[in-house]
Amino acid sequence: MSVTAPDPAPALAPPSAAPARAGRTRTAARRRRLAACGALMTPFFALLVTVFLIPVGTAVYLSFFSADEPGLGFGPERTVFVGLRGYLAVLTDPTFLGGLATVALYCLVYIPAMVAGALALALLLDSGVVRLRAWAQLGLFLPHAVPGIIAALIWLYLYTPGISPVIELFARADITIDFLGLHTVIPSIVNIALWSNLGYNMVIFYAALQAVPREVLEASVVDGAGPVRTALQVKTPLIRASIVMVAMFTLIWALQLFTEPVLLSQSSPMINSRFSPSMYIYDAAFTRNNYGLAAAASVILLLCTIALSYAVTRWTSRADAPEEPR
Amino acid sequence: MPGRHSRRSVLAALAAVPLTGAVSACSAGAAGRARSTGGTTRITFWSALRGSQEVVEAFNRTHDHIQVEFQQIPSGQQGGYAKLSNAARAGNAPDVATIEYPQVPGFAIDGVARDITDLVSDSLRAGLLSQALGLTTFQGRVFSVPLDIEPMVMHYRSDLFERHGLRLPRTWDEFAGLAHTVRRELPGRRLVLFPTDGATQFAAYAWQAGARWFDTSKGAWNVSLADAPSRRVAAYWQRLIDADVVFVNAVESRQSDAQIGDGLVLTRLTGAWDAGAQMKARPAQRGQWRITPLPQWDPERPAVGTHGGSTFAVTKDSRHPEAAMEFIEWQVSHPDSLRARLSSGTSSQYPAVSALVAVGRQAFDRSYYGGQDIYRLFRQEAERIRDGWVWGPRMTATGRLMQDSFARVGAGQGSLTGSLRAAQDGTMPDLRALGLATTQHST
Repeated sequence: MSVTAPDPAPALAPPSAAPARAGRTRTAARRRRLAACGALMTPFFALLVTVFLIPVGTAVYLSFFSADEPGLGFGPERTVFVGLRGYLAVLTDPTFLGGLATVALYCLVYIPAMVAGALALALLLDSGVVRLRAWAQLGLFLPHAVPGIIAALIWLYLYTPGISPVIELFARADITIDFLGLHTVIPSIVNIALWSNLGYNMVIFYAALQAVPREVLEASVVDGAGPVRTALQVKTPLIRASIVMVAMFTLIWALQLFTEPVLLSQSSPMINSRFSPSMYIYDAAFTRNNYGLAAAASVILLLCTIALSYAVTRWTSRADAPEEPR
Repeated sequence: MPGRHSRRSVLAALAAVPLTGAVSACSAGAAGRARSTGGTTRITFWSALRGSQEVVEAFNRTHDHIQVEFQQIPSGQQGGYAKLSNAARAGNAPDVATIEYPQVPGFAIDGVARDITDLVSDSLRAGLLSQALGLTTFQGRVFSVPLDIEPMVMHYRSDLFERHGLRLPRTWDEFAGLAHTVRRELPGRRLVLFPTDGATQFAAYAWQAGARWFDTSKGAWNVSLADAPSRRVAAYWQRLIDADVVFVNAVESRQSDAQIGDGLVLTRLTGAWDAGAQMKARPAQRGQWRITPLPQWDPERPAVGTHGGSTFAVTKDSRHPEAAMEFIEWQVSHPDSLRARLSSGTSSQYPAVSALVAVGRQAFDRSYYGGQDIYRLFRQEAERIRDGWVWGPRMTATGRLMQDSFARVGAGQGSLTGSLRAAQDGTMPDLRALGLATTQHST
C-alpha cells in the first residue's frame, strides 16, 4: 500500500557534512552520529528491501522470463527470456483494459466524493455548529477501525437480496432495489469505501484545521466574511497540503481496489473475477496459473500508480508556485 | 456423480470459498509422499469424488504390494485445483490426482499431469471408449485415464408431460416449439433453464452441433469459440431468451433448486451422472422423472456432447508411477471398484470402460425413474458422442469469461454470440502469455 512508497526526504545526511579538517573528537562524534543514524535507518531500509524491492524485482523477473514449452505446450519446459510478451498480452487483453476502465470510473466517483465529504464534515465540526463534537468524531471514525474485509461482509449482508433487511424494508414500500445490479455495483462499492474511510480522512482535515492561525480567522470575521465564506475561502485554501495528501493516498488506495469486489462477487454475477486490475492479477496468478501474465500486469499497475501519483504531485506543486512570491 | 456434485450446496460453498483457498495453500505441504516400506509401495491419492474412500478401502483390502493413502479434497472449482497446482509447485503433489476433462490440457501443459502413454496397458486402452480417451490424449500422448464419460441427456417430468399432453421433442426445432407451448399453456412454468453459469452446458450444446472450440491438429492451438455451429447454438438460445420462453438464471443457485423442486421447470439438460444427483437431492420427486435423448439438429445423424466426467492423472511428483498406474487401472476398470463407489450412495456415472456398464446397470436402483433402464439409454447416447472435441489450455478461465457475459445477457445486456466472442478475446492473451503457439481460424 502507500507505505511502500519511499519517502523522498528521510534526511539521510546529517546537516554537518564532512568538514575537511577535523579534530579527533569531532571525527569520533561524527562517527557516533553516523552509527546512530545507521542504526535508526536500518529497519526502514531492511523493510524497504524485503517487502518492496525484492518483490518488485521478482515481479519484473517473472514478467520477462518464463518456463516455456514450444508449440502446443506438452513438451519439456525450459526457462527462456520472453521479452515483452507478457506486457503485450496484458495490454491486448480486453478484460484487463475493462478492469482499468472500471477502476478509473470508480476513482472518478469515489475520490471527489471522499475529499468533499471528509472536508465538509471537518469544516462543520471545526465551525462549532455541531454539538457533542467528540462523540460525532468518534462515531465517524469508528468504521475505520473495522477491518476492510469485515466491512465488506457487513455490507454484503445488507446488499444481498433475500437476507438484507434494507431491501426488505424497501420492498414493503413497493420499491424494488438491486444493490448488486449491472449499474449499481460501483456505487455500492463506493458506499462501502466511503463508510470505511470518511471518518479517518475527516480527522486528518480536522487536525489541519486546528493549525489554522486564529488571527487569520479573526481578520476574516472583521472583514465581514460569514461562516460559509470563512470555511470555503479562508480555511480550505490554508489546508491545501492536507487535501492534496488525502487525495493522493485515496488515489493509491483506490487503484488497488480488491477486497470489496472480491467479497461482493460471491453474491453478484455482475462482478467477475477480473473486475479490477488487482483482481485480474490475482486471477491470473492463482486460478490461471499464469505467473508471467500476473507479473506483467502487476508491473503495469505499479507504473500506473507511480505515474498518477507523480502527476498529482507535479500538478499541485505547479499550482502552488504562483503563490510563492509574497 | 462426477462433475458438479459438490457444487450443489451453494450456500455452504459460498461460505467456504475464501477458507478453502487459504487452507489448501497451507496444508499442501502436509501431503504424504509416496514411500516404500518392506516390499509395500505406498502411494497417495487425492480426489473430491464421492465414494473414493470406499474404492480405496476395497483396493487396499485386495492388494498387498501397493497401499493407497486417500485424501478427500474440495472439488476443483472450490479450491481443489488450486490445491493441486500449489502442491505441484511446491514439489509434493500426490501420486494420483483427479482432474475433470476440461482441465486436463491445462494440467498437462503445466507439467502437473505426467505423460503416461507408455504405462497404459493395451487391454485398458482397448477397453476405454475411444471418445473418452481422445479427450485426454494430445499429440498422441496420454496424460490421464478417464473414469467416466457423461453424454448429455434430457431429464424430463413425465407426469407433467402426460397431464398436459406434451410430446417429447426429437429435434431442437420441436424443442423450441414446445418451449412456446409451455409458456403459453402452463402459467408460471417453463420448458427449460438457460444456465447463466453453464459454460460447460453450452460447450456440450456446441459440441453436439459440431463446433470445435479448440483444435490442435495443425501444431498450434486454434481457438474458435464463435465458429459457425457455436453461433447457430447461440442464436437458437438467444431467440428462446428474447421470447421469454425459458428461465435465465444460474443453475447452481437456490432459485434453480426452487424451480426444479416446485415443478416449474419441465426438463433438465445435463450429463448422465446427474440422474443420481437428482435422486439424492430430491427423493420426493420419485417416479416423476424420466430420461430421454437430447434433441437433435439432424435426427438422421444423431450426435451429442458430454457434460461432466472425471479422469485420473499420475503427477510429475510421483516416485512410483507404475504403482500409481496400477491403482488407476484397477479403479477405472475393475468391477469391485465400481461396486465400492456405488455402495457409497446413489450414483449414475457412466463408466468409460465399456465392460463396466453392465455392473453399473445392475447396481442402479431403477425405481426412481419408474423402472426405466437408463443405462441402456446412456450406452446408446455414449456411442453418439461426437469425436474430435478438444478442451482448451485454460478452460476454467475461458468458461468463466463466458459465464460473466452470460450473466449480463440474463440482465438484458449483450447477446450470447457476444459472450462467445468475449470469451475468445479474453482467452487469447492468456494463451499467448503462456508461450503457446496460437491461431484464430474460424468457420
